[in-house]
Amino acid sequence: MRTKITFVLGLPLLALALAIPLFVTDSYILHSMAMVLFFAYMASSWNFVCGYVGQLSLGHSAFAGVAGYVTVLLFTQLGVTPWLGMLAGGASAALLSVPVGYATFRLKGPYFTLTTIAFAEILRIWLENTDDFLGIPLKGAQGLTVPPVGGSNFLAFQFDGKVPYYYIILAMLVGVMAATAVMERSRLGFYLKAIRGDRDGAEALGVDPTRYSLTALAISAFLTGLGGAYYAQLFRYINPERNMGIDLSIDMAIMTIVGGQGTILGPTLGALLLHPIGEMVRATIGGSFLGLHLILYGIMLMLAVIYFPKGIIVPLQRLLDGRKGKRAVTRGAVKADALEGKGQ
Amino acid sequence: MDLLTLSFAVINGLLIGGIYGGVALGLSLIFGVMRVINFAHGSFLMLAMYCSYLLWATLGLHPYVSILATVPFLFVVGYFVQGVVISPLFKRERALVVEPTSALLLTAGVYLVVDNIVLMAFGPDVRSVAVDITYESIFVAGLPINLARLVGFLAAIVVAAALSFWLKHSEMGRAIRATAQNRDAASLSGINVQRVYNVTFGLGCAVLGLFGALLVPFFSITPNIGLSFGIKSFLVVVLGGIGSIPGSILGGLLLGVFESVASQFVTATSAAIFSFGLFIAILLLRPAGLMGRA
Amino acid sequence: MSATRKILEVKGISKRFGGVQAVSTLSFHLNQGEILGLLGPNGAGKTTAFNMIAGAIRSDTGEILFEGRSLANLKPWDICRLGIARTFQLSKPFGGLTVLENVMVGSFVRTSAEAEARAEAEKVVDFLDMGAKAHTDADDLTAFDRRKLELGRALATRPRLLLMDEVVAGATPNEAGEMVHLVRKVRDLGITILIVEHVMKVIMGLSDRVIVLDYGKLIADGPPKDVVRQPDVLKAYFGERYVDARA
Repeated sequence: MRTKITFVLGLPLLALALAIPLFVTDSYILHSMAMVLFFAYMASSWNFVCGYVGQLSLGHSAFAGVAGYVTVLLFTQLGVTPWLGMLAGGASAALLSVPVGYATFRLKGPYFTLTTIAFAEILRIWLENTDDFLGIPLKGAQGLTVPPVGGSNFLAFQFDGKVPYYYIILAMLVGVMAATAVMERSRLGFYLKAIRGDRDGAEALGVDPTRYSLTALAISAFLTGLGGAYYAQLFRYINPERNMGIDLSIDMAIMTIVGGQGTILGPTLGALLLHPIGEMVRATIGGSFLGLHLILYGIMLMLAVIYFPKGIIVPLQRLLDGRKGKRAVTRGAVKADALEGKGQ
Repeated sequence: MDLLTLSFAVINGLLIGGIYGGVALGLSLIFGVMRVINFAHGSFLMLAMYCSYLLWATLGLHPYVSILATVPFLFVVGYFVQGVVISPLFKRERALVVEPTSALLLTAGVYLVVDNIVLMAFGPDVRSVAVDITYESIFVAGLPINLARLVGFLAAIVVAAALSFWLKHSEMGRAIRATAQNRDAASLSGINVQRVYNVTFGLGCAVLGLFGALLVPFFSITPNIGLSFGIKSFLVVVLGGIGSIPGSILGGLLLGVFESVASQFVTATSAAIFSFGLFIAILLLRPAGLMGRA
Repeated sequence: MSATRKILEVKGISKRFGGVQAVSTLSFHLNQGEILGLLGPNGAGKTTAFNMIAGAIRSDTGEILFEGRSLANLKPWDICRLGIARTFQLSKPFGGLTVLENVMVGSFVRTSAEAEARAEAEKVVDFLDMGAKAHTDADDLTAFDRRKLELGRALATRPRLLLMDEVVAGATPNEAGEMVHLVRKVRDLGITILIVEHVMKVIMGLSDRVIVLDYGKLIADGPPKDVVRQPDVLKAYFGERYVDARA
């Protein structure tokens, strides 16, 4: 019953998303749309663990950054196609997530959050100040560029127009949502929700919280890594500040929280709401007001925490239920009456 | 490394560490009373530094004089942030303890707003205040001690002592301590808990007003320095025991010396990595902090 | 009652919290298939002993054997997998999950297949007579239904030994009666039960045998009727003067 909204709202959105490149040819707008989908993807990857286990990680950008660097370096240094590089990057992120998760999942609330920041910042600061690591050119704060191979080249993950980039991230987004849906119905999903609800209670029912949180984190890190690799390919440029700074982590968290944590569609709704606002502000008055969109994000976050702590998906769901729900309610009442009648 | 350099590093570490402790006082106080980790803590310090800078740049006010403005200003900011932004959370969850993550998220929102308002107003450029005291040092046993840092250090000690005294002996202080111990009991005995929270938050921020002005003479400012101060403050509080005022100063001294000595061996940026590493190590060994209850 | 097998053996466990000796060298055992009541006034160390068996806290001394196997150093989830389930004094259902889904969390210990877990959970929900509420959000349950749900979650892990902490605390007489009935039904499934309770009346009617703790020490062990007559037990519950006055 709860997943219904995913289809009622999600399928038309998907149809719309599939059709957009047929009508929109402006490459700036297409790029912006791809960015909306990118943030929806990243937020969904974040949600995979944080939304379900109920912990606030602000270190996920590290996974995106590491995978991005791995992809770019494999391509520029060894000529490995970014498609394979992405997988290698995602795997590196998943590998990194194990020690990080092992350390952090024992902590609660703010302690967890601040430790994830600490991990991500260590990596970022180190990268920003390292030009060369064991002969690998990292180029510090300056970052790495991916040289153009010229024209559209599928293997090199480089395309002339924005349309291919748009469809790639759309497919990735559908993929992450499908993965989330599968997880929700599996033992892992049940266990994560149980850990979120009552850790001691879950332990007594045979749930090893560390094991299952870590499993979900590794998957989430892998997915986030794929996104990070895509991000680097889209701009053909990567640097520590943008690709693994705390702002990226905050974006993922805010979009998920505003949209609805622990739901399949929530993170995407959050990205659909927030990113266009940010983009419009930047496009219109943002040039002279650096950071205005982040002020709006901050305000939206505060409003969501106070008024919709479970995200805007909740009022939307109520709206959907409200139209069809009336009949169901009356039917339920009749059934209850009948039962009472039988009891007498 | 010779002894002279080392002792210089230790003294410098103690001075800056005392200031870290002073900066962390508000975070510790707010957490101790309200069980809220203020994510925007560093942002308020940054705001205070920009206020002090602005008063110096426009009116030529010495940062130490601007304290008269920054402290009340930050008090008012804190008072209203709690009253307007955070209090709905407490009202919603009357009987229950506020979920720590919600409060963290709310204050993360405040952090985004404050940091970016300052970014909008001042731009991303590095700014600094040059006043006489910036370069003055006194010599103790042949070692130069920067006067501006010494002032900050002494201020931290004095503020910590004054805050302890005030909490013990003033009526408001007693109300704050009572609320920290048991919110519901305090409320039943006629304490206006909402007001206590507003004052506590205001007070925690007012302390930042002071240290913002004291830091400006020797610390360059950018709109994004808040977060690292915030994280350092949290580290200090974890080191010293959350909610404890002397613990805050002690934790600050520990962190200051650690950073200062570490940066003798490695570059300053690597020293930052070490502080984060220290933070992680401490939480790993004692998940609730060095002196916290498990 | 021939050839009773000991399912749980507690041998000399102790626990000290700071200056308080919560449990000192406590030994007792549970026979296969019985309902054992663990009694004692407030602060006698009942819950501490209970938590040591469930693996939530570690004992300072002694050992606990379940079906001959030591539980030393096992985590709560390992103990659950071995076949010991527990309920908590304060029932907290997993919020955002329905009654059925809450029970499924328990049944996932024995299977990783969702359909199988669901089928198992449905059986448990029917057993509890909560079928009508299977799809209710667990947060919306009454306190007593939460308690039943907690029992259901524990049963779904298919335990051979069930540890129950204060099953009728705060329940109305009607509800207490229903719970007693349920506990008997659980025993009829072949599950051995240890109940911690301080409502004397409930435990007297329900238990095959009771043991009484006072100040962390075992002061009585026997059939309910005999145990309530023992002066030590009366003293622990009602104080010295009550016993003297009756004498």
